[in-house]
Amino acid sequence: MREDDPLIEWEWIIDNSDQIFARLVQHVGLTLIAVVAGLLISLVLALLVYRRRRLYGPISGVAATLYTIPSIALFAVLTPITGFGSIVTAEIALVSYTLLILLRNIVAGLASVPDDVREAAEALGYSSWQLLVKVELPLALPLIIAGVRIATVTTVGLVNVAAVIGQGGLGQLILSGLRSFFATPTYVGAFLSLALALAFDVLLVQVQQLLTPWAAARRPRALSAVPQSPVQP
Amino acid sequence: MTSAVDLEFRHVSKSYGATPVVDDLSLKVPAGKICVLVGPSGCGKTTSLKLVNRLVEPTSGQILIGDRDVTSQDSIQLRRGIGYVIQQVGLLPHLTVADNVAVVPRLLGWERGRIRERTEELIALVGLDATRHRDRYPAQLSGGERQRVGVARALAADPPLMLMDEPFGAVDPIVRERLQNELLRLQEQLAKTIVFVTHDIDEAIKMGDLVAVMRVGGVLAQFGPPAEILANPASDFVARFVGADRGLKRLSLRRVADVEWQEVVTAHPGDDAASARALLRDSDFPFLLLVDEQDRPIGWLDRAQIPETGALDAQRAVPESPLLERRTTLKDALSQMLGADVMAGIVVDENGRTQGIVTVDQIAAALREAPKSAEPARA
Repeated sequence: MREDDPLIEWEWIIDNSDQIFARLVQHVGLTLIAVVAGLLISLVLALLVYRRRRLYGPISGVAATLYTIPSIALFAVLTPITGFGSIVTAEIALVSYTLLILLRNIVAGLASVPDDVREAAEALGYSSWQLLVKVELPLALPLIIAGVRIATVTTVGLVNVAAVIGQGGLGQLILSGLRSFFATPTYVGAFLSLALALAFDVLLVQVQQLLTPWAAARRPRALSAVPQSPVQP
Repeated sequence: MTSAVDLEFRHVSKSYGATPVVDDLSLKVPAGKICVLVGPSGCGKTTSLKLVNRLVEPTSGQILIGDRDVTSQDSIQLRRGIGYVIQQVGLLPHLTVADNVAVVPRLLGWERGRIRERTEELIALVGLDATRHRDRYPAQLSGGERQRVGVARALAADPPLMLMDEPFGAVDPIVRERLQNELLRLQEQLAKTIVFVTHDIDEAIKMGDLVAVMRVGGVLAQFGPPAEILANPASDFVARFVGADRGLKRLSLRRVADVEWQEVVTAHPGDDAASARALLRDSDFPFLLLVDEQDRPIGWLDRAQIPETGALDAQRAVPESPLLERRTTLKDALSQMLGADVMAGIVVDENGRTQGIVTVDQIAAALREAPKSAEPARA
């Protein structure tokens, strides 16, 4: 990089907009696959834990261990097995990182269902499966979606690292910029990656509001006699 | 409507390890009656209730609904046929009022139109406004409204048997009194068999056709009509539990409907003051009650506050008297009058229209009367 270069070459962006867009799409794809697969696996694991509490220790232990492995190292370890540049290699690593967050949030969500609600539902005649699907999972949704938000934002960042094995989406723009001492792709990749994380997060907040309208429902102001804060400005 | 059923406990025991929670409980609730299980905490009253819908399984003994042993039935089907209301109400927070009420009909697979019709009917039955409350979530309701939805939900599939575990425990005394009256009013129409758990002896006396007093360890201390329990406590424990003020408690057995209401001079705001004074001159009670267009009480005018000429002014009326309903017990009526520091309560009907007044003196007279109804009917 030379001192007198402009920070961003707009011309490069215009000339390469197709490539940038393709990288963005790839980035979104890698993220979605990782989060959806991670969510499905975590749901199965959480239900397993829900039926057999003793399994929580071992299962969350494995998930926590996976979470602590540095991502670059995991890509390196997996490459000889699943191949360099393969989407499988990237996704195995990306999914692994979502498990701990998602599993913990699903389990915490299920545990957050008040006992009296669970008992009332049982007394009304919900079978245990109906109780899970119609009462417990819906009530766990705010915490589950909170987990999905963290997992998604984290994954958007981690996908960039997968550029080292040729599967990085926007990360490959970042990497190519670094390799060629030409800053513009790096800035573009970093900026879009950040914007993508924010966009996912905003979208998921909307999804949560849509799926859990009751969570936002509070008693009308007129009925709540106690002020929210004892200290008035 | 599904007719009510008998409920019978036959030598039912439940213990956790060596600790008995319910000990050889035998009692029979005839169809259409309210049986109140009352006792201090740890007396096994809630456990006894949960044995009926098999949230808890008995260690030994039988519970019969009609002539069927509950343990011979599939527990999930059994529960769908029993109404259940608990103290924290247990409304499902993610469902609207209408969806909460519709839970059991949906589980039973009713068709959509029938569910909607039934839901609207029940929301109105428990005194809520269907259009206003239907789409609210439980978090948007007051405590009393939640309790009403809980009752509506329990009634949804028209079960012959209802279990109520401290259903009015979480609301303030005034709302509780009103909800109790409403449940009694509903019961007059519905005639369900109801098992009602409370730790409050006054509530037990008011609500129960039969009262089962239980003591710690799940032992039935006495079972019978409330009047008999007040008149002849079977043991020191029962006597202590119903309290030294048994005489006063007997007032819980009598309702506002049981005494003769006194007439009261009423007038509307804007009426001629001179003729109002004339009316009052002939009355024993030195106050004039101002009422609105629908005869609903506004407040009292002292004779001295009524001008010689001109019109009656609603601004001067003092609105302190408690409003009593037919089903209000004399004990509640007295305590409300003492609480408001007034000598009379105004009796109103379901629409709030003034019917007459009941005075502290009348209640005192009722207290002095020999408790005819409470005299032992010894078996």
